[in-house]
Order: sequence, then structure tokens, then C-alpha cells
Amino acid sequence: MSPAVRAISWKLAQALVVVVVIAMLMPVIYMLAMSFRTAEEITAQPLGLPTQLYLGNYARAIEGMGYLRSVVNSLGITLSVTVLVAFLGSMAAYPLARRANRFTKIVLLIVALGLATPPFVTITPIYVIFRNMGLLDSYLGIIIAFTALNLPLAVFFYTGFIGAIPKELEEAARLDNCGPWKIYWYIIRPLLGPATATLSLFVTLMVWNDFTYPLLLLTTPEKFTVMISVYRFVGNLNIQPDMLFPAAVLGSLPLLLLFVAFQRRIVSGVTAGAVK
Amino acid sequence: MRDPRSFYMLTVPALLFIGAFFLYPIALSVQMSFTDFSGVGDADFVGLKNYDRFVSRDRYLNSVWVTVKFTFVVVTVQTLLGLIFAFLLHRMPAIRNFCRAVLFTPAMMSFVIVGYIWQFIYAPYSGGLNALLEAVGLGGLSRGWLGDPDTALYAIALTHVWMFVGYTTAIFLVGFANIPRDIEEAGRLDGAKSLQRFWYLELPLLAPSITINVILSTVGTLKTFELPFIMTRGGPDRATNTLSLEIVNNLFGSYKFGFASALSIIMLVIVVVVAVVQNTYLKRRENNQ
Repeated sequence: MSPAVRAISWKLAQALVVVVVIAMLMPVIYMLAMSFRTAEEITAQPLGLPTQLYLGNYARAIEGMGYLRSVVNSLGITLSVTVLVAFLGSMAAYPLARRANRFTKIVLLIVALGLATPPFVTITPIYVIFRNMGLLDSYLGIIIAFTALNLPLAVFFYTGFIGAIPKELEEAARLDNCGPWKIYWYIIRPLLGPATATLSLFVTLMVWNDFTYPLLLLTTPEKFTVMISVYRFVGNLNIQPDMLFPAAVLGSLPLLLLFVAFQRRIVSGVTAGAVK
Repeated sequence: MRDPRSFYMLTVPALLFIGAFFLYPIALSVQMSFTDFSGVGDADFVGLKNYDRFVSRDRYLNSVWVTVKFTFVVVTVQTLLGLIFAFLLHRMPAIRNFCRAVLFTPAMMSFVIVGYIWQFIYAPYSGGLNALLEAVGLGGLSRGWLGDPDTALYAIALTHVWMFVGYTTAIFLVGFANIPRDIEEAGRLDGAKSLQRFWYLELPLLAPSITINVILSTVGTLKTFELPFIMTRGGPDRATNTLSLEIVNNLFGSYKFGFASALSIIMLVIVVVVAVVQNTYLKRRENNQ
């Protein structure tokens, strides 16, 4: 093969890979295209493109799902969980990253168990505990449940991150008689900004998209998160395309936009957490 | 440290939280699994009856078998596909970041939404897949993908792979990037073709990424609930009835809290045993190379 032919065939190979990869996005494109078509159009021609920018589906979905209300719920729950998880997790991780003894080993073992344990193992007892404490169908309950679910990850994540911070930074403070709490608050915590940003994206993703916990713990429609609203709105037995697709777009769009904006950070955060 | 006690005090809030809402629930689950608790009223101790019920009814063993089959298919296909994508993208820096982002997009979506969309794609009459098959002249293959016990589980597995293959690819790409440059150069100077370099040089060095990917996807898939719940409700004929689905059905369908707890404990044991065995085996494999 001459170099010119080789260069052209390499370009073609790359183009082919791009085509295959974009083909993987077809279901997302399909979702978007369908959301602008009427039910009659879809039934008549399942693969057709929208002929007009029909927004009637969206109006009905926003109204029927209580979309704005559920977005506010999801945001409030996400924000509370993120703050709790980041604060408790980073504080706990500081001693765990700095000392290796029997105590820290046991704690890290519990954390590892927490990472591997499927949410189903704790859902039954959590349900019983919450019922006894009057936490069922409350914002506080769902926030506690999500925090417990994400805290092991946060501790694990911060422990690795703090381990990489040079110890010399703390020494001057220690000479000035600063206690561990002050060192954590004034030296360690401010350095954790990038780690917290990555963790927050991760927690947001998890809380926004999770469906099982709110499904089992929330019953009042006014308290539903976005995913429960989508689930209730779309229904299950006979899916109406003119309800499904706009609801799917509305449910996914906020996170897909977040992903486009922070794509690098999300991918590198997810892989850093996994590879370590 | 002057005062070690106040140093460790920093972990106490998190430990209290994990103790109250993770360790205590697990302990409570173990305890409930030996009772006939029905959610209300008194719970009577029934010994191993729940566990006996699990091993003596085909239905529950079948749900474990469905879960294992699903996990095996997903982990195998997802790892191989991710490896192929990463191999190609590693050699194509011009399109790497773009393709990685596109492949990762489905992982940003919720199981509920992905489940509903694919349920519609697989639908027998107005669904996209059958219409597509008709359009390319393969109409003979069209069927109710989720309504057929032979295809339902694989259809859901394909959806799961679609969601997470970008994740696997991203981890493999990090593995490729960690391979020292001079090893690759040396291979190239020795005249090794791309595929030869992959097979003899890169694949052995990717062992740690394989370990991570296999364990992550196994643990993530063993607990699968949302996609079968949304797409088939465990049917047809229990072909997609995973262990998680069985737990939720016992809990909120028939209020068998004791039995659901026993199923949860069995699930925890399965996940931990599989993760430990895989980890030990794959780590040993890494070291032998």
C-alpha cells in the first residue's frame, strides 16, 4: 500500500468508527424525534421523522407529571445529600487517610462492604426502621436513605484523595497548636474542592436517576422526584408514545446538559474512582 | 498528633450514620430473615424456614439462575465490546474524545427512561426495531422481543450493555493510556502489526483494567432490578424474574418481610462471594503475567 492509499483508508476506518459510535446514540435520537410527533403519526409510521415542531406532547407532559414541582424536589434532595455526603465523608476520610492501624482498617473494611452491598439488601429493614421513626414519605427520610447509600463511596473517594495531599502542609499548623478539627477545616477541606466537584457530579447523577428508593419510600405525589413522576406518568401496561417520549426527554435533559458541560470531569472522575 | 482521640473523633459522625443506616439495617435483616414478620404485628421466630423455602422451591432458585445468566451475558459482551472500542479509539486520537463522550451518554440516563424507550423499541407492532427489520428486508426476524421467553432476557441484557459499554470503554482507555510509551515503540520497531502488539503487548498489560471492569460490571449487574421491572415485570413466564425483582415482589407485593430479608441476605452473600472470588482469581492472573 502506498502511503497515500494508507492515509485514505485510515481516514475511512476512522469515519466508520464514528458512524458506528453515533449509531449507538440512535435510541436517544429516536426519543428526541418521536417526542415532536403525534401518537397517530407514530402508529402510522414508526420510523418517520417529525413533520412539524409539535409541542402539544410537552405541554401535556409538563402538566401531567407536575414537572416543575418534581424538578424542585429532585434538586432539593440532591443538594442536601451532596452536602451531607461531602461533609461527613471528607471529615471521616482525614484520619483514615493519615493513619493505618486496626481501627482505620476496620472502618475501611466496612466502607468496602458498603460499596459492594446492593441497595436491596438494606431496603426491607430501612423501610421498617423508617416506618417506626415516622420517616416514610418524608423528604428527611429519602435524604437519609440516599446519604447512607452514598456515604461509603464518599469516604473511599476522599481517603484516596487526601492520601495524595503532602503532610507538610499540616505541620506548620500543628506547631501552632491547631487541633485536628481546625486542620481539617482550614487546611484539608479547602484543598478538597476538585474532589468535591467530582463527587457532587457523581451523587447528582445517582440521586437524580435513582428510582427504586423514592418508589418504595415516597407516596405523596407532591413529594415525587423526577423519575417517579416519569414512571407514574408514563404508566406501565400500555405505553402511549406521545406521553413516553416527551416525559423521557424532560427527565433526561437536565443531566444530559450537565454531562455536555462537565463531560471531561465526569468521565475522568468516574474512571479515577474505578482505577485506583 | 498530640491528641489521637480527638483525631479519630472526626470519623465518628460518618460512623454513626453508617452504623445506624447501613450496619444496623443489615443486622436487622439477618434477624428478620429468621422470622415470619409480615410488616405489621408480631414476628415469630421460625428458624431456617425461610432459607429452606428458598432452596426447596424452583421458583427462587430459578430467579438466581436468571440473575446469573443475565450477569454472565452482560459482563462478557460489555467487556469484549468495551475492549474493542478502546482498542480502536486508542489508535485514533483524532476522534477519541468525541467517541468516548458519545458512548458514555447513555450511562447518564436513568434506568426508568432507558427501560421505557427500549420497551417501545422492542414493541411488536409500533416499535422501532421490527419496523427497522421490515425496512431492510429482514421482516421474517421480527417478533415481540420482550414477549417471547426465549429472547426477553437477552433483549434486556442488550439494553443494559448499551447503557454501560461507554463506561467500560472509558476504563479500558485509561488502561491503554497507562501503558508505557517505550513498550509500544519497541513493539513497533520490531515490526509488530497493530493486532500483534495488542495481543502480545497490550492485552497482558491491561490485566488490571480487565479486573476492575469485570468486578464493577458483575457487582452492578447482579443486583439488576430496574430494567426487568420496567420492561417485563419479570415475565414472560418468569424468564426475566431476577433475584432483586423477587425481593421487591415479596416485600411490597405480598408483605413477606421475613422471607424478603432472607432473600436479601442470600443476595449479599452471593455478591460478596462472587466479588472476592473474581478479585482473587483476576489478581493472581495479573501477577502471573
